[in-house]
Amino acid sequence: MKKALIFLIAIAMIATVFTPAQAASGRNYISIVGSSTVYPFATVVAEQFGKTTPFKTPKIESTGSGGGLKLFCAGIGVEHPDITNASRRIKSSEFAKCQKNGVSDIIEVKVGYDGIVLANSKKTAPLKLSRKDIFMALAKDVPDPSGATKLIPNPYKTWKDVNPSLPATKIEVLGPPPTSGTRDAFVELAMEGGGKKFGWIKAMKKKDKKKYKSICHTVREDGAYVEAGENDNLIVQKLDANPSAVGIFGFSFLDQNTDKIQGSFIDGVQPTFEAIADGQYPVSRPLFFYVKKAHTKVIPGMKEYLKEFTSEKAWGEDGYLSERGLIPMPEAERAKFKNDAGSLQTLKSVK
Amino acid sequence: MNNTQKKTRRTIDIVNQSLARRYRAERRFRLYGISAIVVSLAFLAFLFVAIAANGASAFWQTYVKLDIHFSPDTLRQASLATADYQGLVKKSLRNMFPEVKNRRDKRQLYGLASPGASFQLRKIVLDNPQIIGQKRSIWVPADDDVDMLIKGHIKREGPEESRRLKDKQLAWIDQLIAEEKLEKRFNKTFFTVGDSREPELAGVWGAVMGSFFTLIVTLLLSFPVGVAAAVYLEEFAPKNRWTDLIEININNLAAVPSIVFGLLGLAVFLNFFGLPRSAPIVGGLVLTLMTLPTIIIASRSALKSVPPSIREAALGVGASKMQMVVHHVLPLALPGMLTGTIIGMARALGETAPLLMIGMVAFIVDVPAGLTDPSTALPVQVYLWADSPERGFVERTSAAIMVLLAFLITMNATAVFLRKRFERRW
Amino acid sequence: MEIEDGRVLVSRENRKTVGDIIVDNPRMTCRNVDVYYDDKHAIKDVSIDIGNNEVLSMIGPSGCGKSTFIRCLNRMNDTIDNCRVTGDIVMDNVNIYDKNIDVVPLRAQVGMVFQKPNPFPKSIYDNIAYGPKIHGLAANNAELDAIVETSLIKAGLWDEVKDRLGQPGTGLSGGQQQRLCIARTIAVSPEVILMDEPCSALDPIATAVIEDLITELKTQYSIVIVTHSMQQAARVSQRTAYFHLGDLIEVGPTERIFTKPRHQLTQDYITGRFG
Repeated sequence: MKKALIFLIAIAMIATVFTPAQAASGRNYISIVGSSTVYPFATVVAEQFGKTTPFKTPKIESTGSGGGLKLFCAGIGVEHPDITNASRRIKSSEFAKCQKNGVSDIIEVKVGYDGIVLANSKKTAPLKLSRKDIFMALAKDVPDPSGATKLIPNPYKTWKDVNPSLPATKIEVLGPPPTSGTRDAFVELAMEGGGKKFGWIKAMKKKDKKKYKSICHTVREDGAYVEAGENDNLIVQKLDANPSAVGIFGFSFLDQNTDKIQGSFIDGVQPTFEAIADGQYPVSRPLFFYVKKAHTKVIPGMKEYLKEFTSEKAWGEDGYLSERGLIPMPEAERAKFKNDAGSLQTLKSVK
Repeated sequence: MNNTQKKTRRTIDIVNQSLARRYRAERRFRLYGISAIVVSLAFLAFLFVAIAANGASAFWQTYVKLDIHFSPDTLRQASLATADYQGLVKKSLRNMFPEVKNRRDKRQLYGLASPGASFQLRKIVLDNPQIIGQKRSIWVPADDDVDMLIKGHIKREGPEESRRLKDKQLAWIDQLIAEEKLEKRFNKTFFTVGDSREPELAGVWGAVMGSFFTLIVTLLLSFPVGVAAAVYLEEFAPKNRWTDLIEININNLAAVPSIVFGLLGLAVFLNFFGLPRSAPIVGGLVLTLMTLPTIIIASRSALKSVPPSIREAALGVGASKMQMVVHHVLPLALPGMLTGTIIGMARALGETAPLLMIGMVAFIVDVPAGLTDPSTALPVQVYLWADSPERGFVERTSAAIMVLLAFLITMNATAVFLRKRFERRW
Repeated sequence: MEIEDGRVLVSRENRKTVGDIIVDNPRMTCRNVDVYYDDKHAIKDVSIDIGNNEVLSMIGPSGCGKSTFIRCLNRMNDTIDNCRVTGDIVMDNVNIYDKNIDVVPLRAQVGMVFQKPNPFPKSIYDNIAYGPKIHGLAANNAELDAIVETSLIKAGLWDEVKDRLGQPGTGLSGGQQQRLCIARTIAVSPEVILMDEPCSALDPIATAVIEDLITELKTQYSIVIVTHSMQQAARVSQRTAYFHLGDLIEVGPTERIFTKPRHQLTQDYITGRFG
């Protein structure tokens, strides 16, 4: 008797499993994927949206920018996500893939800026770095100190070796792994920015772009750079415990933990809300999300979600996203993207 | 001469000579054993103490008492759902501290109460519209920064600009404490709601329900299938190269990293069958694949441990093979099978990696109510909170781990209990 | 070879069965039975009859194949994967090793008691009632109760357990357990009962009780008993078969086997030269 019951339940379960079409067709919530950097902002908007409108709260997965766009571009239909967040702009190759899979109408919304900070414990003095220092401290190969235009494996052990004005502490940087968008932006903005300071490396950009990129983007692997996950509270705890270590993460983490850690000066500018917003702080990047226009007719609440995200109370100067560490765009830019999102203006091409 | 000496020595002398060495070896071995246990217990104790010390405070939450006037001006019947409840909260705070005038200070003042306060008021009004026009004292959650301060997780000292709570806010908080309008209460929210980006509004219930639905699917599929497979392989299948191959493969599957099952689930259940992403049913299916080998192996060893004399007794009175298995072997093997199943389920409860691939690592606020609703699971919630920048999530991460551990310990205790209760000695 | 009383003993090398393998009106007839475990030839061309209402005992040194042979009679050897049986074992004019023969009714007909008492881990009542239940021998509960009672009475256990039928069978003493197993076998009303060293795990007093029981049971059943004890064989059986390394050496009336064996090997065994 008991056995028969179990058997029946099992059959019922299997039956439910193999009637997927009906289960999938009824999606009444927005499905969002993408960047882990945008995730803390998108989730706040989603929650606000879910609690103040009759619509269900959107589901947000943190898949990374690349992973998100891959899922996003896989096709049209309820089984594919409606929106993807990205901590960089969509690449032309990704755009082409979207087009190929029938995702032809994409709405691009820029949400604001994020600063990437190098931070250390408040127990020591803040570091005053230049992008060149960052490049010299973290690149796998650095220019020969003798002045010749050739590379040697990175010999520097302490910050003082890199720049005599820095303290003689060991170089120990906790940063995101290569799969992360934060890492991409960091090597592009901070390290490449530093590498460019060497004239002959800069000259190489025209001649041999590949070589140039590999010089600027390759992080040393001898233990000075520790891959410690991105946006992780553990990094903050590690920095607190080890005052000589430096961590790399998004501005929002610094913003939430200002009692424990402090941002390093980069090229003389400390990462503050204002400095990132007006563009003085050199290591900052725009954040985006992309919307499938075709889905706005099918999935309930998508237009309202766009409206919520682009409202002044969310992404404005005093909006709740700025409290979370999102750096708002200038007013004119906000107006433009709000307008584009409101009228479902689609992206024509990506350069 | 040596030879003659050896011959005259009695066995007992030779034994005595080596006796001390043999006992030394035994003492050494015992010492290694004890120290191994002490070290592992110390680690376990450290883990538990660290988590409990971190997480215990999350079960309390700081609340602020607000005198709310549900003014009919703000709450018009037509638009109750979208009325400016935040305005009510702000007004109440302004009434408490009428000296606050400039805009910057007001913003700091509003920051004392959680954004969740307005949701709470909205719910009160929608549930009971008669309240409009009345005045009520209502305890609303304080902002996470206030909560952290009260619990001592952030300090009052240090320069103002590097503190999340400014000098004025500290003064207001002190005043509220003095007026007994700010106090810690049991954090019911934590156990009754889903995820949130506000630590003070976040709960584990959504994740618990997600785990529950996922495990129900896993249990309902993996137990019957696993037991049936084990019974067939152990009792009915001929012993030949094919069954050997199957056995080797089952053992190999038990050792496959769980992320691989996630990838399999992505390819088969999502891409081929088109099941919804982030749904407990898919999570359950993936975890079924993962737990099946464990259950099959445990069930087979439980079947093997049933003595052959019982099988012979059954066959001897003319039971068919099926009757022998169902009437005699299965009941005796069932405690072992259940133990294996529960341990497999406990492992499934603690998995995050395979769920990552099928979209269950996601921000989901609504508590799932069915097998196809988007949901996360308990360990995923731990992972997500550990990744959140807000300080309030540090203690909530530990608290969620405590909830997870409580479930795991309960499940393992059930396994031990079942084993003790139904075990038969031969 | 000739010995004092004028008997001529068959030499050790000759393994052809000596004695009367045939009985009048047999219950089972075994002809040219061979058993192999993979390549090992465990039973070599054995032919023997099992009579009605007799106790046939099988003796022989360890590993001689007597247990293997008795397990052929209700096809218990089927459960051993690499075991292969050839030859004819006929019961009611049917070869029980025929392809169409179902082992379930066969085992209901030919019951078995094992070396080690193996009651089910259930109540005494359920132990006895299990066989009749699965075969559908009782139309209702009253009939089932009656079967349980008569079986226990026949097994001489009723007086000891009638007040605790609901208690587990495994709680009884070793001798009681073995009688419970006999009662369980009787409960399905078999025609032949096979006993594989039923007393080897019991003390002498319990053994004596079982032996008395066997003597009583033979009035209704044919019994084949494997035993290590020559005394037991002498006490309970009418015919005795002596096995040696897979060969059936000698069969005959028990008294004659123990007093005037005709084969050198039998002579050696019963006089304690080996075994």
